[in-house]
Amino acid sequence: MKNKRQMLWSALLKGYGVLFLVFLYLPLGLIVAFSFNANPINVAEWTGFTLDWYATIFQGASVEGNFDAAFTESPERIFDVIRTSFVVALSAASAATVIGTATALALARHKFFGKRFYQALLLLPMLVPDIVLGIALLIFFVGVGIELGLMTIIIGHVTFLSSYVFVVVSARLAGMDTTLEQASADLGAGPLTTFRRVTLPQIMPGVVGGFLLAFIISLDDVVITYFIAGVGSQTLPLFILAMMRRGLRPQITALAVLILLFSLIVASIGLILRNRKP
Amino acid sequence: MGFLQILSARKVYQTPEGSSVQALDDVTINIRNNEFLTLLGPSGCGKTTLLKCIAGFEDLDGGDLILASKSLRSVPPHKRPFNTVFQNYALFPHMTVEQNVAYGMEVAGVSKVERDRRAGEALELVGLSGFGGRRPTQLSGGQQQRVALARSLVLKPKVLLLDEPLSALDRKMRETMQIELKNLQHAVGITFVFVTHDQEEALAMSDRIAVLAQGRLQQLDTPTEVYDKPANEFVANFVGTSNMFAGTVASISGDRVILETGNGRRLAATSTAFRVGDQVRLVLRPEHLTILARDETGDADVPAIEGRVRETVFVGSTMQVHADIGHGRTALVSHPHTRRGSSDIAPGAEVRIGYSAASGHLIPMRSA
Amino acid sequence: MAGDRFMAARKRNALLLLLAPISIILGIFFLIPLGIVVVYSFLEPGLYGGVEWTWYPYNYGRILGWPLNDYEEFDPIYLKIFATSLKYALMTVVFSLLICYPAAFWVSRRSERWKGFVLFLITLPFFASLLIRIYAWLLLLRPTGFVNTALEAAGIISQPLDLLFSGTAVVLGMVYIFTPFMFLPIYANVEKLDFSLVRASQDLGASPIQTFLRVILPLTAPGMVAGSIIVFIPALGNFIVPSLLGGAKVQMTGNLIERSFLQSRDWPFGSALALLIMASVVVVLMIQTVKAGRAKGGRPA
Repeated sequence: MKNKRQMLWSALLKGYGVLFLVFLYLPLGLIVAFSFNANPINVAEWTGFTLDWYATIFQGASVEGNFDAAFTESPERIFDVIRTSFVVALSAASAATVIGTATALALARHKFFGKRFYQALLLLPMLVPDIVLGIALLIFFVGVGIELGLMTIIIGHVTFLSSYVFVVVSARLAGMDTTLEQASADLGAGPLTTFRRVTLPQIMPGVVGGFLLAFIISLDDVVITYFIAGVGSQTLPLFILAMMRRGLRPQITALAVLILLFSLIVASIGLILRNRKP
Repeated sequence: MGFLQILSARKVYQTPEGSSVQALDDVTINIRNNEFLTLLGPSGCGKTTLLKCIAGFEDLDGGDLILASKSLRSVPPHKRPFNTVFQNYALFPHMTVEQNVAYGMEVAGVSKVERDRRAGEALELVGLSGFGGRRPTQLSGGQQQRVALARSLVLKPKVLLLDEPLSALDRKMRETMQIELKNLQHAVGITFVFVTHDQEEALAMSDRIAVLAQGRLQQLDTPTEVYDKPANEFVANFVGTSNMFAGTVASISGDRVILETGNGRRLAATSTAFRVGDQVRLVLRPEHLTILARDETGDADVPAIEGRVRETVFVGSTMQVHADIGHGRTALVSHPHTRRGSSDIAPGAEVRIGYSAASGHLIPMRSA
Repeated sequence: MAGDRFMAARKRNALLLLLAPISIILGIFFLIPLGIVVVYSFLEPGLYGGVEWTWYPYNYGRILGWPLNDYEEFDPIYLKIFATSLKYALMTVVFSLLICYPAAFWVSRRSERWKGFVLFLITLPFFASLLIRIYAWLLLLRPTGFVNTALEAAGIISQPLDLLFSGTAVVLGMVYIFTPFMFLPIYANVEKLDFSLVRASQDLGASPIQTFLRVILPLTAPGMVAGSIIVFIPALGNFIVPSLLGGAKVQMTGNLIERSFLQSRDWPFGSALALLIMASVVVVLMIQTVKAGRAKGGRPA
């Protein structure tokens, strides 16, 4: 029996849910919509549709007849920054995937003294505030005498990305039936064959999901990179941060939309893979 | 000489709380070639641990495991000539039925042609020809069970280990599979070591039953011996239902033993293993007891047990009669309801319960 | 037995191989650097950046109130900024909790098909670039931003409101970027909530408010606590959001740390500030661990 009050509550909850999604997506939606706004001064005031901002990101020069489209960053610089970001994200995420997966396997399939220590240790990089890890790595690299640059960014990213991969792969391993590995051994397969033929295919969605998560986080990291990038190498988030601090330009909005699009596509692939049933 | 010898097997587990549990305590079993041996016991008795130790998934802490006069203790599981049918079947979900069955041959380097042929034969053996292309998840529980069997049998193991393989099936399916398994074992001529907690299953299928409790071997014998002559109180209670009476041997003539309980009740049994004055327990199975009709006398020198019917439960083939027999004891009688005098059995009725001395089995009082 | 030892040795080798990389990475590039931060926080800052290797507790003294010498007067500005950071972090936790709690119930009541899709939608922004999500609020809150433009167009205000560069903007921005962190643990908890318990409570005569306070709230508390911690930690040490949405007006400890390292180059002082943040995080985690341990039912001795 559903009385009126319950129905009212249920309707309120539904309305609230819609508001919640609006809260999440409206700001992002506005960026996308107004990245096509021709008004160069007030982004919020719609004066017409244009693709100029997108065009000028990669052209550098001003679009004819539109002075405000002038964009001071050279296209080479942007491509350079994007390349740096991808090199960092790909190498850091790959290394973190191998390390995180190996660690997950060790902790899930072995009993050993100090296991609890490792479990706690692996959570720490995710719990330590970014800024603390950032300055710690900065002091360390400078103190040891490693020049800040691409290498330090990659190493810095691997330290905390390994934990994320570890968590994702561990969840997958926990959901995996351990008797499958026993069955494989029972049928005559050695440890390596068992890993390659049974364990790896079973945890693959977790490994891929962990990689994608690490990739996205690395690509997006501002704080830690901010401290350990040095002067020579700039990643995309650092580049955007610098642009934002210099003043708002319509090109930032357009670039933001492109990045948004890219990370949402990668994230969608990751989420869909993760939700696929084992 | 056994075919596969388990010698004084010992295994200790550490509980998370820090105490240790003896999962296997000095278990010795000689498994014979081509026999159907069942490891029977309640959960936690060590039967699955023993199976895992044989398969090699667990290491023994003491004792040995000998196959053809060679110790297996240093042989890793994938090099032991045994195969296991797991409780949950453990079929690889990312492979087809055929790939599952061929897996063991593939890792052993058997040629593709040979693999296909043998996998086909194995699937035919378990009645699943034509299912090779399916995924395990597309099969019913019973079918998955058969795939697991085919996957193990195709490797022609020296011993097939089965870990409660029928427990996930419904009752009807389980009964069908019991017969099929038994027939299969005869057909392939491979030693089966079967783990179960279901005593009916054990009695129905086994050549021999090893009853385990608290990590110790309680009795190792044929199903009829285990049922009719349980070695101790645990086996008597775990396998079938028993009426049990503790007492002292009062007199012996030939193999006829009269014992007297603490309440002065005199009961008869057949045994030659005891002397006057021994402390013993008498085991009487419910189906060995009958409610005597008014004019019946029963066995001449076996004193009938006087009682009063408390309740009756009709279970189809028999009437289960619970009767108060004094001193707070209840006797359970499995009474064929077609027998004469059955109509007199109603709650409150005074009855005499008879049995034959030959059905009375004695076990020593103190036994582990 | 020799064979057993051989097998055990092989297992141990495999384990060592699997654990070696993480041990190196976290040992050298995580634990040692954190240790160095602790050491640095007790060293004297050098004249032109760098450090002097002498015992120097006055980095903490500057923050907590034991000045270097009698001439200096203690200025509690750093404590004030730390208090502001705590306040904003707590406000962020409270607001995101209030926003996410009902939303979790909403999602848990959807049908299976919708649930997957809605969860996907809620998780997705988490992966959108952090800077861009902050940038969105910059556009919204600017004097010429969407909010002011909309309000002016509607005739509610005549002068643009000073929305940006305020504590409100900072908290709003942090709530927005941390919402997925708060939502997921709460949702995981609410999803597990057995609604028959709610019906049982109602059946036993409890009013809706009583049912909420006595049944629903205690059962969903673990998720709320977990979410609060996950939001509190990055909020407390944040410096990106205050530097972009707070401008010069809003200072959080994170901004101080950043400046100590990259502008004034007083690394020991920055290390001390960072350890203040770390200490707060450790305190929060310890309280949670102790409470969780107690909730698990530590038997009375």
